[in-house]
Amino acid sequence: MTPDMELALAARAENIAIVRHAFGGLGEAFAVSEQKLSDIRLAVTEACANVVVHAYPDGHDGPMEILASMADDELTVVVRDWGRGIGPRPDSPGLGLGLSLIAALAETVQLGHGGGEHTEVRMTFALTDETPSMSILPGTPSGAHPEGHTQRAHGRQASGHRA
Amino acid sequence: MTGPTAREQEQATDDVAHLRLANGPLVGPVLWRVVSMVLARADWPLDRLHDALLVCDTLCAHAPAYANDGRLTFSVQADEHEAELRVRDLTDDGAAGLVKDAILPVVGNVLESMAERLSIEPGKQGEAAQLVLVLSSS
Repeated sequence: MTPDMELALAARAENIAIVRHAFGGLGEAFAVSEQKLSDIRLAVTEACANVVVHAYPDGHDGPMEILASMADDELTVVVRDWGRGIGPRPDSPGLGLGLSLIAALAETVQLGHGGGEHTEVRMTFALTDETPSMSILPGTPSGAHPEGHTQRAHGRQASGHRA
Repeated sequence: MTGPTAREQEQATDDVAHLRLANGPLVGPVLWRVVSMVLARADWPLDRLHDALLVCDTLCAHAPAYANDGRLTFSVQADEHEAELRVRDLTDDGAAGLVKDAILPVVGNVLESMAERLSIEPGKQGEAAQLVLVLSSS
């Protein structure tokens, strides 16, 4: 499927705000509800933050790409990087909640390589279902799973996390 | 997109935002916000930022007629002095047509009057010509 929106930026913290604003435009164009858009932006922000913090070695910049496709009231968002891939990172500076949060907000989450040299987080959001939101977060999957592995968690597909 | 080309990957490590959009309702709202954010981050004064958004509005109004293969590609970069906005993925006559269409009665050509510099550059790797607009913050 050809994405409706593709955004390529340097993987820097300050660029995450641009991504968030771009999704604001997408929300306006497709009349996405404020609550759903807030969830989508939060999940995408977490995925982008993962790229910024973990994908490239300290002091190095690399590309970050965000793709969004709309079909049948479902939004698919893919966040890609060309960094060092997903794996355990004991020295992670974060709390390790990013992918759990994404899994709680998205209908499905998949981690993998997408058939290329990149690493990607693929999320889907049902735009007609108002239930997944920060106000009623369901339980989130705990523990890491091998990349590309998926599991059903609380009615949704989820998989492991970077770091 | 099957992933950024080598050139786009290299560019993406610079302060350039590359945006490719399906020709349709997304173009205006997304371009408007991305340009706003890039220029605001570069500390552009509000009136100049509004001028830049007027340029965006003009592009959004006319570029869809020249979209090649149903897509439009924009590249945006800015520092505190200048911003460069590139429009790519246009039809063969798209860049010139886009400039020609930006004429308003009484006002004249919006793109030519708002841009510090305007040029049509040959496309790379077999692409059609791209429209390059350089805007000034002063």
